[in-house]
Order: sequence, then C-alpha cells, then structure tokens
Amino acid sequence: MRKDQTLGEYLQSHGVSRRGFLKYCSATASLMALPPSALSQVAEALAQARRPSVIWLSFQECTGCTESLTRSHAPTVESLIFDAISLDYHHTLQAAAGHGAEDARMAAMEENKGKYIVVVDGSIPVEHPEYSTIAGITNLDMLKETAEHCAAIVAVGSCAAFGGLPNANPNPTGARSVSDIITDKPVINVPGCPPIPVVITGVLAQVLTFGLGSVEVDHLGRPTAFFGQNIHDRCYRRPFYERGQFAETFDDEGAKAGWCLYKLGCKGPTTYNACATLKWNEGASFPIQSGHGCIGCSEPNFWDAGGFYKPISAGMWGSREALLGAAAAGAAVGAASALAARSRKKKALAEEEA
Amino acid sequence: MTLLEFARGPGLQWALWIFLFGVLWRVVGAMYLLGTKDLSKFRSKHYVRDGLRAVLTRSAPAEAFEKKIRFQHLTGYAWHLALFISVLFFAPHILFFESVLGFGWPHLPNTVILVTAAIATATLIALLIRRATHPVQRLISNADDYISVLAVLMPLVSGILAFAHVGARYETLLAIHLLTVEFMLVWYPFSKLMHTFMTIPSRYQTGTFFGHRGVKA
Amino acid sequence: MNTQASSVLESVQALEKSLEQVEATVEREGLPDDERVRRAKKAFLRKLDGRKAVDLDTCIHCGMCAEACPFYETTQDERYAPVNKYHLLRRFYRREVSPMRPVFRPFTRDITIDDLREWRHYVFDACTGCARCDMICPMGINVSSLIRIVREGIGAADLMPPRLQRLKTEQAEKNSIVGVDGQKLREIADQLADQGIDVPLDKDGAEIMMLTTSMEMRSFPSALAANAKILNKAGANWTMFPEACESANLGYVAGDTAAMRVAVKRIVDKAKQHSIKTVVLPETGHGYQVLRWLGANTVGEQLPFEVLSIIEFIIREQGEGRLALKQGGAGTSVAYQDPCRLSRKGGILQEPRDILESMGFELRETEYHGREDYCCGGGCGEYVLSTGSELRHKVFALKKGLFEDTGADKVVTACASCRYNFLIGAEKSGWEKPIISLSETVAEQLAD
Repeated sequence: MRKDQTLGEYLQSHGVSRRGFLKYCSATASLMALPPSALSQVAEALAQARRPSVIWLSFQECTGCTESLTRSHAPTVESLIFDAISLDYHHTLQAAAGHGAEDARMAAMEENKGKYIVVVDGSIPVEHPEYSTIAGITNLDMLKETAEHCAAIVAVGSCAAFGGLPNANPNPTGARSVSDIITDKPVINVPGCPPIPVVITGVLAQVLTFGLGSVEVDHLGRPTAFFGQNIHDRCYRRPFYERGQFAETFDDEGAKAGWCLYKLGCKGPTTYNACATLKWNEGASFPIQSGHGCIGCSEPNFWDAGGFYKPISAGMWGSREALLGAAAAGAAVGAASALAARSRKKKALAEEEA
Repeated sequence: MTLLEFARGPGLQWALWIFLFGVLWRVVGAMYLLGTKDLSKFRSKHYVRDGLRAVLTRSAPAEAFEKKIRFQHLTGYAWHLALFISVLFFAPHILFFESVLGFGWPHLPNTVILVTAAIATATLIALLIRRATHPVQRLISNADDYISVLAVLMPLVSGILAFAHVGARYETLLAIHLLTVEFMLVWYPFSKLMHTFMTIPSRYQTGTFFGHRGVKA
Repeated sequence: MNTQASSVLESVQALEKSLEQVEATVEREGLPDDERVRRAKKAFLRKLDGRKAVDLDTCIHCGMCAEACPFYETTQDERYAPVNKYHLLRRFYRREVSPMRPVFRPFTRDITIDDLREWRHYVFDACTGCARCDMICPMGINVSSLIRIVREGIGAADLMPPRLQRLKTEQAEKNSIVGVDGQKLREIADQLADQGIDVPLDKDGAEIMMLTTSMEMRSFPSALAANAKILNKAGANWTMFPEACESANLGYVAGDTAAMRVAVKRIVDKAKQHSIKTVVLPETGHGYQVLRWLGANTVGEQLPFEVLSIIEFIIREQGEGRLALKQGGAGTSVAYQDPCRLSRKGGILQEPRDILESMGFELRETEYHGREDYCCGGGCGEYVLSTGSELRHKVFALKKGLFEDTGADKVVTACASCRYNFLIGAEKSGWEKPIISLSETVAEQLAD
C-alpha cells in the first residue's frame, strides 16, 4: 500500500467490496461490544485511516507472539489490514537484514516523527544489557531511542508487558517490562503468553478507529475490553466449581467428564483475559476446554505464582521443615518459661514450710 | 509484589510461623508446669475413661441446667459447627491443608459452604450482642474477647465476599481474606482463641477429678 | 416442729450468739498492706500448677457458670458469677506464671489490697465451694477449685472474715471450736452412758475411729448418739479419741493451709498411733471432703486407713448383713438434700437414697437433685458469717421452694451444716416442714 493511500482506497484496489468491508467492520465493532449504530463510525474511520507507521521491536522473546498472530489467519481481511499498516521494522517479517534493516527503522522514525506506533515483544535486560543486542545496540538503548518520538507503545505479550519468562525467579538477565523503562509515553499492555491473535488486532483496530485515548485500560495498562473480566467468571466449567465437582488427576473420571480444574492448579480466578469467551484458533477451544488448567499467562509473575499444578489456595508458605522448626522453638520457650515458674513455686513452698 | 502475592507468600509464611511458635509456647508452657499427684484413694480406677468421656459430654450440659443456658448452648453449637464446616470442608481450604499436612479429605459443594458461612456469621454476631448486653458477660468480658470475635469475624465476612466476588476485584478480595486469616493466626496464641487447644485437656482433667470421686463430670 | 427440733434450734441460736461474741473479741494483726498482698500472691503461687494453668487458660468468658451458682441465681448480681470470683487468680497467673507473662503483664492489672478486701465478700460470703459451677462449665474448668485458691490467698493475707480468723486460730492452738472440745465429748459420753448408749473413748485395739464435730456436740448431740447406736448395733470395734475427735476444719474453711494441716494431722497421727483401720465421719460436709479427699495431700502421704462417711458405713454394714433396718418410713414421703461435699464433690449419691428406701420412705426428688442439686447456701463456713446471712437466706428460700414443690412430708439431710442452715432459715421464714437427719432416722429404725 502506498503511504499516502487510505485504508479504504487500498482495500478497494484489492477487490474488497464495500459489502465485504462493512462485514469486517461489523465483526470488529461487535468484537469491541459496540452497538450496531457504531458501525458507520467504525466503517468511516477505518476507510479514512491512513497507514500508520509501525515499528515492531523484538527483544528477549521467543517469537511466539508473532507466531500466534501470523498463524492465526488464513488469507483473511485481517491480514490485509495488517498488511495495510506500514510495518516498517519487524525482524521476522521484514525482507531487509543487517544495516539495511536498521536504516529502515531510523528512516521510519524520522519520517513519522511523533506519529509512529512502537510495538514491542520480549523483555529488556536492564541489569545486564549486553545479554541481548541487535546490530550491536542493546535492547535498552534501542527501546529508549525508538520510543523517544513515538506516539504510543503497545507491549505485546507478557514479556514486554510484565517481564515474562526471563523475569521469573532468579531473573538472571535482570529482565524488565517496557513500562518499567518507558514512563513518559502511553504504553498499552496486551499480555498473554502469547496473547490471543484477535485481541492484538482488536486493540490495534480500536486505536485506528477511535484513537489512542479511547482505549480504556485497567491498573495494569491492559485494555478492559479484553482483559476486564477474569477467566473464572466466564468459564463454562464454573457450575462444576460451584457444585464441588473437581478433576483430581488429568485422566480420572472427573477429568473425562469435564469437571472444574481448580485442584489441578487452574489460575482462572485470578487471571484476566478473553480466553474463555473469544477462545483460540478462531474460537476452536482454549486450555481449560482442552482439559488443562489456566496458567494465568496474562498476569504479572505468573511463572512464580507457585506452580502451574499447585492450586491457588495452597499458597506459598515455604517449607514444612521451617514450620516444624517454629513449633519446636515455641515448645522450647514454653518449657523454659514453665521451669522458671516452677522454681519460683518451689521457693514459695519452701518458705511456707519454714 | 502485589497484595495477593504478599498475602499468599511471605504474609502466610510469617503468620504460620508465629502461630505455631506461639501455640506450642503457650501449651507446653502451661502443661509443663505439671500437676501435683493426688494421693487420695480413688473410688474408681476408670478415671482415664471418665476423663475421655467428659471431653465429649461437656458439649451437652446436664438436662437440669439446659433451660438456663439454652440460648448460649444451641447458638454456641451452631456457631462452632458452622465454622468448622466452612473452614474444613470447602475445597480450596482443603487444598491448603493438604499442602501443609500432606493429606486432604472430601469436600462439600460450595453452595453448602456459603450457607454454613452465613450461619456462622449470624450466630457469631448474635453471641457478640449477648456478650455486650448481658450483665454477667459485660462484667467479665475484656478486650481479648472482643478482638477475638473480630479476628474470626473478618475472615468469615471477607471469605463470603471473596466467594461471591462482591466489593472489589477478585484478587483483592482474596488477598484481604488471606490477610484477615493471617491476622487471626498471629492473634491466636496470645488470646482466648487458644481454648481450641485447651478445652480437651481441661475437660479431661475435670473428668478424671470427678471420676476419682465416683461422680460423672 | 417437734420438741427435738426446737431444742436443736435453741442450741443453734446459742451458737449464733457465741459467734457474735467471737467477732467482738477479735484482735486483728496489724500487717502492712503490701505484706498482705505479698502473702496472698505467695499463696496463689503455691497452688498454681499445670492443671490450674490449663483451667485458667481455657475460660472463654461465656458466663454459664453464673447460671449454675445459687448466689447469682438468687440475686442476679453479676459480681457473684463464679468466673468473677476467681478473677484475682487469673490476673496473678497472667502476670506471673503464665508462659505468656512477658506479653500479658503490661496489660494486666496487679493485685491490690483493695482487690483482696473486695473479693473477701465474693469468696467467703457468696461462695460455699459447692462446685455446681464445675458441673456446668462447657470448657470443663474446675471453677470452684480456682475460687478456693483465692480464698487461700485472702486467708494467707490474714484478711479472712474475723469470725473465721478467730475460730481457725482457736482450733489450731487450742484444739477447740467456740470452746467446744474433747471435754464436751467426755460429758456427752457420760450422759449417753446413763441412757444406756455406749460411747467407748480412748479404747485400745479399736479398729474404727469415729469422729464428731463441735456443731454436732453443741447443737445435734442426738446425731452423735445415733452414730453410737449404729456402730454398736453393727457390732463394730470402735472408739472415739477426745483429743482427736473434731472432723470440722476451720483452717480449711478460713483458707489457712497451715492451720488446716494442723487439724488434719491431729486425726491422722492419732489414727496411726492406734493402728486404726477405718475412720468414720459423722454427718459433716467439709469434714468429709477434707479428710477423705484432701487429707492425704495435706499430710503429703497416702493415708494408712480408709475413710468412710457414716452413710457409707451404714450401706456397707447393711450389705454385709450386720445391720438391718425396719420399715418405719412407710407412708412418709421425703425429699433428700444432697450435701455438696458428700454428693457432687464426694461421690456419695446413691447410698443415701438406698438407705431411705430400705427404711420404706417414699423418695421424692427435687427438680435439681443428685449431681445438680443446689447447695444449701451455708456450707464451708458460710453459716458462720454474719456478712453472708442475707445471701444465705436467699438461697434457703430457693431450696425451700424446691422442697415445697415435691410435696414431701419431710426434708432429710446428711450434713450438719445443711441441717443447721435449714433450721435457721425455717425459723426466720416460719417454715413448718420437719427437717430430719439421715443417721438419726437410721438409728430409729435399727432392727433387733
């Protein structure tokens, strides 16, 4: 798509009919839980949208977020939309390499100063910046440099949003999230390990349609449209939780009957995401439906929450040895106190005899 | 660290340590004061059996006394029973105990627990009102009594709210519930909540004391 | 009332008069207040052990003990709740003996001299140690034992009621109570001999040592006579020692453990000296408790003889065929007063009932009987105290109502204190119901 072409013109030139375009807009609108009357607004906004420049920075990541997004679509309208964004820098998807790639980044930053969007996946090593470099530039420097004149940052995936796996105990690289480092630009967190593809595109669509300020976020910077409710409240297995029917192992009768997975470590009650409603693979399923408890991947520190298979209520209270040690120490203090009291009593008894 | 991470982690850890340390300190410290041997000739040599029987029968006062203490007796029973069921037979709680003890036990449906928790809360408040209004209890009650009521009431109320997802985000409600439990655990050894552990030895020794004399305690 | 009762009443009233005189002559030692408090605390410390600690740590302040206490019941005065009566001990324990004392001490008030003076009323005037509270406590606390320790603390501080202070000193130093001693026993023995009732004194080789009380000798000599008849009829090899015949223990009553030990030792030493096999107690309340259940611990060794109440003696002799009773009670209904020290605290619950039924009486149980029977209100020295007379009388009114409700012809008791209290109460309230002694009734029914 030419840089000065609007999205509507681009789609038209690719043979997407007005009707097809409106169908997509209607799906997008309902995805964002907008009323039917908003359809024309969505359609007009998208049609008029100019291709914003997007610079995608990949740091300490596994590329799973990109994989999830790209795997998620067949040749659909969404992919056209995605192509319609001027993706000026992306390690996996771009054709250029080496210095050419970095030049493209710098050019995009210069041409779109103040207007380009930065998408980040992967965490940033702060205590040991040298652990992750691209073209000789540390992730930390690249992030700061690229973010300086951007319009907004979207931190895609739990690594960028909260630090993710690299951030897990003992965090050998000193990995941090984007919002730990960039504090003077708006950062929208779209966590998940990986996030649901339509969640990513849905957030971007909302930004394109209604502008950055329209995205309501929670206290962790996550769009409430997708991260406003916890899995537990939308889980189709909730009645089994209420009735107290739990799978005890992964292959017992309860598991086969599709009972609640709380005892097998499901973190649904404390996890906010859209998995239970939007599901994965274009609505095919999601982990709980497939028989595995939610691992809480859109929450900070989910790797250090006690274990994927330990139930929430088991807590993280340390070791049994330490508990026994505390009890033994108490018994010792009690015994000492009793001995002291008894010797005073003996003295008092002796006084009486005298 | 989020509030929930603290409550599930270091908060719980310290609370458990203080609880165990304090309980053992108090129980051992009291019992290790030891008893003086009773040299009188006992009527019955079955006083161990009498002691054990008193542990059970003291929950049911003699018929002659019943009409004077009926309210306290029945409400007290309902309170304790409802509390035990709510604490011991709610599946997430059992998972916690299992993580500490190494074994668990069967659970009851959550809706049953909601009912018992409501009963526990209501009976506790009823008994609190009696404590604050009845002349004898007003005279003898002190700060320990009232704080202990609070220490147990807060986990009950916060647990019901957390379960029903009412009042705040779930993880905040859960954190508050855990923190109120941790307060109770820390308060426990220094308060009258210790009657949990003292009741059995106390009833037992009264059972044997009267059993020596041939009287049903 | 029959003439026997009225003569008893006369002597009862005479006793009251001499007690009033006792009060007037008491000279109190001028111990400094802090010394009194110090002694009280030492007395508390001596009696606190693991068992008491468990009791003190278990109270949940439910107040049910008040619902069992006759003094609370009849006044609705919350200060008489048993848990309040031992409050001083709980405070002392938490400050000085509890394993948690470093934590509790800053929050617990110390014992003061004013506390001791105030609690004197609660533990002497408003408590007889009847242990009814022990029966109701859902935590199984020996409430009455804790109140007992407070009594001992106040006694150690020399703050017991003046009458008791005088009487326990008299008993310890002079082996007499209100002037009644072994000499009185000799006089009674002589009188009974004239009536053909043998009361062997200082007999060598006797196996059974019988005891009496100053109250019995003074107010109920017919009971002493009855005991003698029963022992003789059973063919017992028995005697009484005037130097060691007193089973009442004013040291115990006053909370003076040293004086208590002196009186107990008199009996034990005499029994040991004469190789006595069985000591039999007359109709007495605390006298039975002190020797039977506290005696061994008081002298620090197991007693080398068995201790029986006259009731237990009668049952045993009946059972072994040495005593037979006539059915003189047929056609008369009786209600039995369970003396707290004999029944609830002593374990003698069924025997008196068996004896009464063996004499043909129709037994009508009061609403509260046996283990849950109400105290007569005047035991454990309570009857001696002028400061407690109003409270006593309220409890008497309660008992009177219970007896009346049975519709029984007579009230039977097996304890001289109970008997004394009922007679005084009956006289004050104009109650005509005959109040009879179990052993005297048995003596009347001895078959040939």
